[in-house]
Amino acid sequence: MATEEQYDKETVDSKLMIDHDYDGIKELDNPPPAWLMWIFYASIIWSVFYVFYYHVFYDDSNIPDDLKVYGAQVSEYNLEVDDAIAAMPVSTFDEKSIELLSDEASMAEGQTLYATKTCDVCHGASNIGPNLSDEFWLHGNSIEEIFSVIKYGKTDKGMTAFKTQMTDVQIQQLTSYILVKMKGAVSTNTKGPEGKGTDMGNAEGAEDESADTSNAKGPEGEKHE
Amino acid sequence: MEQQTFYYDNKIVRMFGGVTILWGVVGVLVGLLIALQLAFPVMNFNLPWLTFGRLRPLHTNAIIFAFVGNGIFTAVYYSMQRLLKTRMFSDLLGRIHFWGWQLIIVAAAITLPLGYTQGKEYAELSWPIDIAVTLVWVVFGVNMLGTVARRRVQHIYVAIWFYISTFITIAVLWIVNNLSIPFGWFESYSVYAGVQDALVQWWYGHNAVAFFLTTPMLGLMYYFLPKAANRPVYSYKLSIIHFWALIFLYIWAGPHHLLYQALPAWAQSMGVVFSVMLLMPSWGGMVNGLLTLRGAWDRVRDSAVLKFYVVGVTAYGMSTFEGPMLSLKSVNAISHFTDWTIAHVHIGAMGWNGFMIFGMIYWLWPRLFNTKLKSEGLANTHFWIGTLGMILYAVPLYWAAITQVLMWNEFTAEGLLAYPNFMETVTQILPMYYLRALGGLLYLIGFLIFVYNMIATARSGKLVAEEEASAPALTPMPSKRQPGETPHRWVERRWVAFSIWAFVAIIIGTLIEIVPGLMVKSNVPTIKSVMPYTPLELAGRDIYVREGCYTCHSQQIRPFRAETERYGEYSKAGEFVYDHPYQWGSRRMGPDLAREGVVGGPIYKSNAWHYKHMLKPQDLVPTSLMPAYPWLISDQIDLEIMPAKIRAMQTLGVPYAEGFDELAVADMAKQGQALADDLKKSNIDVAADREIIAMIAYMQRLGVDITKEKK
Repeated sequence: MATEEQYDKETVDSKLMIDHDYDGIKELDNPPPAWLMWIFYASIIWSVFYVFYYHVFYDDSNIPDDLKVYGAQVSEYNLEVDDAIAAMPVSTFDEKSIELLSDEASMAEGQTLYATKTCDVCHGASNIGPNLSDEFWLHGNSIEEIFSVIKYGKTDKGMTAFKTQMTDVQIQQLTSYILVKMKGAVSTNTKGPEGKGTDMGNAEGAEDESADTSNAKGPEGEKHE
Repeated sequence: MEQQTFYYDNKIVRMFGGVTILWGVVGVLVGLLIALQLAFPVMNFNLPWLTFGRLRPLHTNAIIFAFVGNGIFTAVYYSMQRLLKTRMFSDLLGRIHFWGWQLIIVAAAITLPLGYTQGKEYAELSWPIDIAVTLVWVVFGVNMLGTVARRRVQHIYVAIWFYISTFITIAVLWIVNNLSIPFGWFESYSVYAGVQDALVQWWYGHNAVAFFLTTPMLGLMYYFLPKAANRPVYSYKLSIIHFWALIFLYIWAGPHHLLYQALPAWAQSMGVVFSVMLLMPSWGGMVNGLLTLRGAWDRVRDSAVLKFYVVGVTAYGMSTFEGPMLSLKSVNAISHFTDWTIAHVHIGAMGWNGFMIFGMIYWLWPRLFNTKLKSEGLANTHFWIGTLGMILYAVPLYWAAITQVLMWNEFTAEGLLAYPNFMETVTQILPMYYLRALGGLLYLIGFLIFVYNMIATARSGKLVAEEEASAPALTPMPSKRQPGETPHRWVERRWVAFSIWAFVAIIIGTLIEIVPGLMVKSNVPTIKSVMPYTPLELAGRDIYVREGCYTCHSQQIRPFRAETERYGEYSKAGEFVYDHPYQWGSRRMGPDLAREGVVGGPIYKSNAWHYKHMLKPQDLVPTSLMPAYPWLISDQIDLEIMPAKIRAMQTLGVPYAEGFDELAVADMAKQGQALADDLKKSNIDVAADREIIAMIAYMQRLGVDITKEKK
């Protein structure tokens, strides 16, 4: 309906649309910016390719692709890990041939691990797990047995298997720390004797000793003679 | 042509504007509280109704439905009357809309802290409130479309296109996602389970962002920005293209919230490609807004209103760029379950929604009250404090997100998780949480300055309740397309046709994506060993939902080595078939719980651990951010409601035996006693009918069924 062309004063390139007036709001007859339209078209083309690539041209398109990613990721990592382990000094022990450590460096490492792996959460004042400082043991007190409990867990009772969180050497250090440094130490765990006593004492003796710890659990497990 | 005189109803605008300000302060205040709770867990105060899990839904619902919702209505009621040269269709419907919506907000503010929730994000409101929302929404729609029908302007303006699409789409989304089977006055189970519930929920959730936080805001922008700048809209053609592209594409994008999760691969791909295609249509709104300011940039320096719009529209551009990027699977693998999402949505909510609403009200208030803005200086102060607050909120969270995800995914040379203890990855980012709370505080301070300024402005003038206006009556045009009339111009003067086209645009994606998701069985491969929950576990699950555990804990292990090492085998679609509602979560403030119950799994804990952990998490995990839940130990399980729960589940097809509803309580007592006996071995004395027992039973069931299949 406009025969005379009206131009917006401040942007002379833009034509005002004369019959567009909404409560004083005018509209300009500019085309959408070209860059915007081209990126839009490109995103549509990309999307078509994406769908065809993943859902039509894949030979094994019936396998969800997330699982393919997963499989690839795991095998890639496993290879890396294998390489890393191959490059490391050969582990000369397993839970059957482990040796007790007592050097200061290992004790310090063990103590750090005891803290960072949050052992104290269950074996300390919460009394969820047994007292580790008395001489009563549910699953044996030999280095092999304790190493094994830490590594493989007693998962039905809530003891985590730490094999995914610590190396064998670290578990050895932690086990040694528990056996060397914690024995007879003052614990926040107030549980009484659990499990077999060790050759250090008997149930009654242990109860006396654990009186100054904070774990109030009664005897658990057999006493080791 | 004869001029007709009529009056604009400004009172309803003032009413909606006033509550926008009021609920905005409340929403931001609750947000600050929950930000502080994450930084200092003591701020949970050991009170059920003040814990993070219950207040976080209150915060999100208050910001979305109370602050932004009323802000939208303010914009709609002011701009529509003027754009259509008529009073609103009905004063009465407007009042019913207003009071109905405020009652809904009050009901939400009471029920959410009490723990009445549907357990789905931004859809937490219980079923009676959902029905009320639906009714009030229809009142709003009738009032809006009635106004369009009575207009004195031939063509409807782009702002109103966005308003109409908002009304239609929210109605569809709201009803479909909230379908549930009630079993109490405020309690119900979602009719969808597991994967399907997740799909419907994020179709809703993402489009609540699209059609509640975006399209009506674009409508607001298209009226108030050119008004305040006094400049013509840059491109009418761009308006057309980006409007239709936006509403057509948005509806498909929901599954990008579920990438690498137990959702069929085709649906995930839809989520990816439609999000990427959305980038430019979204930017169309930003570009049209910013280019409309051509020739007005010199005034941005002096005008607080224009400043708010510039930052608001830019924030929109930022978050709509970030959205498609976060929807790429490789990026999402990193960003999902981290604070990145939280930062992303706050750029949208604080920047786009907040600043556009502030800009609108700063411009509107002096006009409503026929006065001048009390203080332009304070408005500028608000702008700068608000902007600073937003930056201080978002940047630390981006930082926290990247830090935490790198820690989650790092392995040692031996192939072990470098940070197997989840807590290490949380304590590392705590400083960022302090900064974020500070950012939120600044934003709140700016908001309070705004409140003062608006009260003072209102007091300095008098409300022009009835504003006189005049316009010629609408000359009827033949409904046939006229020579020289473009097809779009044609549909702009026929609102019924326009509404139908808008409905078609949003229903296509809905039908293609949601219907097969619900109907096609092969989308959820069955796992034979997956059984319904026992009544005790079900009661525990309902407590899990009630306490909002999903706001911090996910139940969805993605098929990544870093996740399967940390949490156990990745989640399968078939595992969730009895989960009404699904509880996959979207953020891991704490570890994933999908395999919590798997004995021998990486995160299994004993019954005694769970008991003590719920009683006081910090006793076991000294730096834990989790609130304490002592009331689970003192409160008894609601036994009376159990038969109704079982029957509701049976209605939904959960295969409990006929008549099991009557046996449920006895079954619970038996399982509960066994659990209580086990706890006694650890010197924990607790009655078998306490909520903690149900909660532990549920924890120990999580993710277990699939392990039985292998044996």
